[in-house]
Amino acid sequence: MILSRRALIKDGMLAVSAGMIMPTVFSRALLSARAQAREGVRLAQAASERTLIVVQLAGGNDGLNTVIPYTDSHYYQMRPALAIKETQVLPLDQRLGLHPEMTGFKKLWEAGHLAVVEGVGYPNQSLSHFQAMDIWQTLDLSGNGREGWLGKLVAGLVDQEGHPFKALDIGGQTALALSSLNAQVPTLASLSEYRISADPQDRDGGASRLEALLKLYNSYPRSAPYAALLETTALAAQEGARRLHQVANAYRPAVAYPQGPFAEGLKILAEVIVNDLGLRVGYITLGGFDTHANQQETHAQLVKTLSDGLYAFYTDLALHGKADQVVIMTWSEFGRRVEENGSLGTDHGTAAPMFIVGNAVNRGIFGEPPSLTNLDDNGNLKYTVDFRSVYATVLERWMGASAQDVLGSSFDTQDFLPSS
Amino acid sequence: MDKAASSSSEGPTWPRLEEQETPPSGTPPSPPSRPEYLARRRRLGLAGLGLGAAGLLAGGLTVEQLWQRSHTPTPLAEQQLIGHLLRRAGFGAGPDELAFYRNLGFTAAVDHLLNYQHSSDDELEQRLEALHLNLDRPQDQQRWWLLRMAWTQRPLLEKMTLFWHGVLTSSFRKVGGPRFYRRMIIQNQFLREHAFDTFDNILLGITSDPAMLFYLDLTKSTRNAPNENYARELMELFTIGLGHYTQQDVTEGAAALSGWHVRGFASYYDPASHNDRLKHFLGHSGNLDYRDVIAILAEHPATPWFLARKLFSFFVYENPSTEDLQPLVDAYQQSKHNIGAVMRALLLSPQFVSAKAYRSRLKSPVEFAVGAYRALGIQDDAALLPQFTTLMGQTVFDPPNVAGWPGDKVSAFWLNSGTWLTRLNYVDLLLRRGLGRGSARPLDLQAIIEKQRLASPEAFVDYFAAFLLDGELASDRRTQLVSYLTSPATGAQESVAFANGKAYPLSRVRGTLYLLLASPEYQLN
Repeated sequence: MILSRRALIKDGMLAVSAGMIMPTVFSRALLSARAQAREGVRLAQAASERTLIVVQLAGGNDGLNTVIPYTDSHYYQMRPALAIKETQVLPLDQRLGLHPEMTGFKKLWEAGHLAVVEGVGYPNQSLSHFQAMDIWQTLDLSGNGREGWLGKLVAGLVDQEGHPFKALDIGGQTALALSSLNAQVPTLASLSEYRISADPQDRDGGASRLEALLKLYNSYPRSAPYAALLETTALAAQEGARRLHQVANAYRPAVAYPQGPFAEGLKILAEVIVNDLGLRVGYITLGGFDTHANQQETHAQLVKTLSDGLYAFYTDLALHGKADQVVIMTWSEFGRRVEENGSLGTDHGTAAPMFIVGNAVNRGIFGEPPSLTNLDDNGNLKYTVDFRSVYATVLERWMGASAQDVLGSSFDTQDFLPSS
Repeated sequence: MDKAASSSSEGPTWPRLEEQETPPSGTPPSPPSRPEYLARRRRLGLAGLGLGAAGLLAGGLTVEQLWQRSHTPTPLAEQQLIGHLLRRAGFGAGPDELAFYRNLGFTAAVDHLLNYQHSSDDELEQRLEALHLNLDRPQDQQRWWLLRMAWTQRPLLEKMTLFWHGVLTSSFRKVGGPRFYRRMIIQNQFLREHAFDTFDNILLGITSDPAMLFYLDLTKSTRNAPNENYARELMELFTIGLGHYTQQDVTEGAAALSGWHVRGFASYYDPASHNDRLKHFLGHSGNLDYRDVIAILAEHPATPWFLARKLFSFFVYENPSTEDLQPLVDAYQQSKHNIGAVMRALLLSPQFVSAKAYRSRLKSPVEFAVGAYRALGIQDDAALLPQFTTLMGQTVFDPPNVAGWPGDKVSAFWLNSGTWLTRLNYVDLLLRRGLGRGSARPLDLQAIIEKQRLASPEAFVDYFAAFLLDGELASDRRTQLVSYLTSPATGAQESVAFANGKAYPLSRVRGTLYLLLASPEYQLN
């Protein structure tokens, strides 16, 4: 997590940090006309770019009760209490259907904007939440990775353009997927709090106090503990806060979002996209999927939150004319055991489906639903699609990035996105 | 510094620092004479500036700090020592508390913290009582605990409780619904009462804790349908760690652990609900029950290493070596798993008082928010405190998941742009408004200046830096603060007068304290 000074110099960020003590960065009024013109050009460019929104379903989503093999009798045998009745399933095709609470996803499917990748996983799962989460985010199958795949992607983008909102993580802590050895991803839980308060006694709106503070960060000895992390954080925060509140806040949600923190977070992402702040990667987490007991009601609520939230988000973007430039991808660290347990829940499993949403996606079921009879020694599904091939598809076919560079080796791509 | 460094194990261990770097040829491995040592450190430090990542000196000390040490007559290491102890084994301290512990000396201070029974917290309990908090409400629960941390005379006990809450964790979101949120307080009281007990007793208590029984579903386990959730996390996250058990140990452990249930705010063991078949668990066979599982785990060779790593990373520094952990493991085994003995070994270890440990972790949101509140002696009802720690990334009684807070293990996770902005805004509000309900109660700086007879802007900076930063503020940075305080401010406003007769704008004086608390140095613990 500690950024090396050398890396900063190499990536040209030191030049940016030198600007920290320039008074012009503190006030819009002081921006020169030239700088404003430059800004306009840059924002226009940013608007033409594509955005990826990654949704983490934390805790291990029960894939079999999300995309349901409703014509497979084994499903009903293994889950006498928890199986969703065939008559309630929202069918996608002759084999698979959605959980009845996922009406939003069903609408996206009918409109042609939803793809499902079935049977996604990786070899030798340990059934540990935390190792699985680390693997999905760092691609290090030993679970000891420190740099996230999206962090690598974003670091490249930041280097080129130095934009503070290339990536945005909604939450209190930057996701491991976004952690990078040489870039800081803005992370926020509340848009209104993402600003620097001023003391009303300060007649200059806090400008000189902020200037003094940034000078303390800029002159903090390079050799001191956490020096690079502290300085880049301060720089990213003040620059991001300034940019965020400088944009005239034209955004109004075009739809009524559901209640709750997940939808609130999606609204922040929508605002950043609609305001053309140049977002390339957005990240948000919905937690609570570890349903070992009495899962029916909990799981129904969670998939409803997911489906309603993303449907509102998609519709909002579409009504703002932004749906063409956004693709959404969901993932969870694992699916759950095929056979239900004795507590009306399910235990840690392996393979699970991923969802891809957007105007750009090819509607359909991709990958192969794993067999419910040919299970591993723990009674879990055998994966049919390597998660890294899903990442490779998104990187190459949507982000225009080299999957080889980001993932470290090459993987097959899937056809849920067009190849050109 | 000289006294501490040379006379006892209480001082920072300079030899350890030396070991981190390759000494120039001809330099003896033992601590060199002082001038030679400093000269070398400065050379290395300056070289570090051009070396990128190597710029983070192994000892975690800045060139400026070392430079300052060599030029100041005050016993800075002593000063660092107690400030460091109270930040790690507590939540920082104001000037009076710092002076109290400094008078005890380091070893006696450690024992004072460990033998907390001798310090009364009656006043704390009365003050909390007077707030009429509703402990069925998560926000009030958070205030209740955060204020304990701020007001306690037993700082290590509260810090240890916070450590356990990050390891043997539960969240109010899954303890049986709003009517039973208070189960979190019961769990918290258990962790506090047994914070220094044997690990066996702690594991027995947490296994049968009502909140935990719900949080990890053990209450759902029955004779014929054991639930594997608790069994897995008990091994993976509470005792031995990944790689020391198999999926079969999970299912067998689950069967052995069955039998515990919850009724209201109490738990009970129902033998009829216990699965009494033959089980094979981590190499042991028999009709094992929860007592056997816990005895096996507490005795397992991986357990003391697992626990020592967590304690060391939380209290000392991250990525400890085997040598760092060995004394803690020994203490665990020699004391029959007594956590008080392990903690005493930790706090009195050379590593704890090493330069490598000093400022080697970022303050957690709770350490930051409670620390500033406690050190400045703010006396309001802290109604706004919980929401600020949440925005900084930590909500007590609501960890992100069963693994607790990642920042407890790797403190850099605490810092990002959003949490940094919240830290700034917290400081701003704390100083000019306070955190209480109702009207603003700004920190009365004029009163502090008069009481402490602070003669000048320099004295003002030094007074606060002394207890907020152990006086460890490099001279150029002190100059920056003083020049901010004395710089002219536009427009008419209130002013604050120093004993030298000069007055300065309130925003500048208050802003200087803001800068101290928002500085890079103060983000470190």
